[in-house]
Amino acid sequence: MARRSPCRLSALGMVNSLGGDLETIWRRLRTGDQSRFSARSDFLPHRPLVVAAIDEKLPDIPEALSAHRCRNNAVTLAALRQIEPAVRTVLAKTDPARVAVVMGTSTAGATSMEQAVADHMNHGEFSDAFHYPQAEFGGTAGFVAGALGITGPRYSISTACSSGARALASARSLLSLGLCDAVVAGATDTLCGLVTNGFSALHAVSEQITNPCSANRSGLTLGEGSAVFLVTAEAGGVQLRGVGESSEAHHMSAPDPSGAGAEQAMRAALDDAEVRANAIHYLNLHGTGTPQNDSMECKAVARVFSNPLPCSSTKPLVGHTLGAAGAIEAGICWMALSQREARSMSLPPHRYDGVWDPELPEITLVDEGDSASLDPEAEALAMSNSFGFGGNNCALILGSTS
Amino acid sequence: MTSAVVKAWSAWAPGIEDAVAWREWAAVPTVLETSGHPDAAFLPAMLRRRCKPITRIMLTAAFDCCEGREPSAPRTVFASRHGSINDSISQLEALAQRKAISPTAFSHTVHNVQAGLFSIAAENHQASSSVSGQQDTFASGYLEALTHLDRDPDRDVLLVAGDVPLDPMFAPLVEEAAAPHAVALLLAAQGEGTALRFAVGTPRPAPRAAWPEPVEFLRWLLSAEDRLALGSGECGYEWQRA
Repeated sequence: MARRSPCRLSALGMVNSLGGDLETIWRRLRTGDQSRFSARSDFLPHRPLVVAAIDEKLPDIPEALSAHRCRNNAVTLAALRQIEPAVRTVLAKTDPARVAVVMGTSTAGATSMEQAVADHMNHGEFSDAFHYPQAEFGGTAGFVAGALGITGPRYSISTACSSGARALASARSLLSLGLCDAVVAGATDTLCGLVTNGFSALHAVSEQITNPCSANRSGLTLGEGSAVFLVTAEAGGVQLRGVGESSEAHHMSAPDPSGAGAEQAMRAALDDAEVRANAIHYLNLHGTGTPQNDSMECKAVARVFSNPLPCSSTKPLVGHTLGAAGAIEAGICWMALSQREARSMSLPPHRYDGVWDPELPEITLVDEGDSASLDPEAEALAMSNSFGFGGNNCALILGSTS
Repeated sequence: MTSAVVKAWSAWAPGIEDAVAWREWAAVPTVLETSGHPDAAFLPAMLRRRCKPITRIMLTAAFDCCEGREPSAPRTVFASRHGSINDSISQLEALAQRKAISPTAFSHTVHNVQAGLFSIAAENHQASSSVSGQQDTFASGYLEALTHLDRDPDRDVLLVAGDVPLDPMFAPLVEEAAAPHAVALLLAAQGEGTALRFAVGTPRPAPRAAWPEPVEFLRWLLSAEDRLALGSGECGYEWQRA
């Protein structure tokens, strides 16, 4: 297959529990800051729940977009504002119909939907503030297009926890097909009653902060956030270099314990990027901290990569942001790659209790302060794994030259 | 303009359940029935038990479209505006009363439940995405299918687009020609079949069909008309026979 055309991740905006700007988020990632987690009693009926919630003030949704007014879109807007100048620069020289939006989400405006159904039960009608675009999955992309004045195609991808990774894969293809000149792509998910109670009912939620790869791990910790990229067909900067996808055909809510689906996605990403496994400098694990995920993922990683590839799950720092995770964790790789030096690249650490699970095949975890060694002549490459409900997997490879 | 070939199609709506019936309907189209769903008896009982009407309809169209072919082979795209929203209402009502929700019901109301269950039933390990694009969900699904052909031009993509009418609680909020339906298209980058060119651009204001957009696309595919324009919002989508 011919080498793919350039796909530059030209600008990134991000918000999550660690902060509302890249500098703050990166600083807290590098220092392994877990102070942002909190126990909340407003989600589950009978017990508090440790979550990674956004506690800063969110922007107001403009009146013209009131049909999209929900917390999920306010979080999206906080991320969008960071890339708005870059998007405006593109729109000043491009037909807005030649710009597309692809957004991942698994919750959309679920909090608005929860309120609406409660109102309907109690009063027999919705409040005037409720509009269907707040709740429907496609509304997330529609909101982004409206907020930025983009008139090209816009749609949402909802494949559970791989949604955000898929949105970037689709953005690259929309550029490659020549259907667009630029794409705003990313993902947003926010904490809501449905996912907190749903994951809790599945016994997938940890009582303490998630502890991936530990012998003591007992589940995931939910988080929330958004990451949005401006994606262009330019060379240079941080490139989306490879996409690998698979379906497990195994179970709706449990991964294939062999890790075959994860392995297939990682190998496909390497093939797509036309690089060998030993060319990768860092792997951002899906690393949810559930016994099943970490077991199958470590098996797959150990089969694909020879030690010592530095790996970390950043979910003990930002929580599991569900559909947004693929975009946020690609964004974490982006931040590492965009700050690479000629011979080294700072990496986000893997925070856990340090009690490695001896049942897992050995992989190398990033300690606080660790960096990857780079060849100044070579491209720095980072992979990000995302595995979702329904056995929907997507691995991305990002790269940058010095 | 981007080209693709429709290698096969199938569709399901109440009372219009095979190719002969769809050709008859397309010759003299009428408003669709507003209730009903297939049994999807081809699904293993364990899977079928958990399949809501929307899933039975979409998987029936999906497997019909693969008849004579290997359903494990194509990449898949499932496009649905509302997805499993109707099926999540009982969970939302439980939440409003601070009651526990069912873990199985929760994992079977994600937007990609049809994709997940299809992959299991078809033993399909290929890439799969599930999309939603408000009133332009069908065109969004077609576009997403093209992105899969871009990533893997040698592999077919099965696009399945469908919806069921919204629950009466939400139906008044959305203006649409609601009917239970699904249309499946087996798309390829090239080869035997109906070659179509697709473009995105300025919308052409036109009255919306009295049936859902996937069905309008199928009506056009079976007609002798040269072009189809969809998209009533800011963005237009146009298909043309190549």
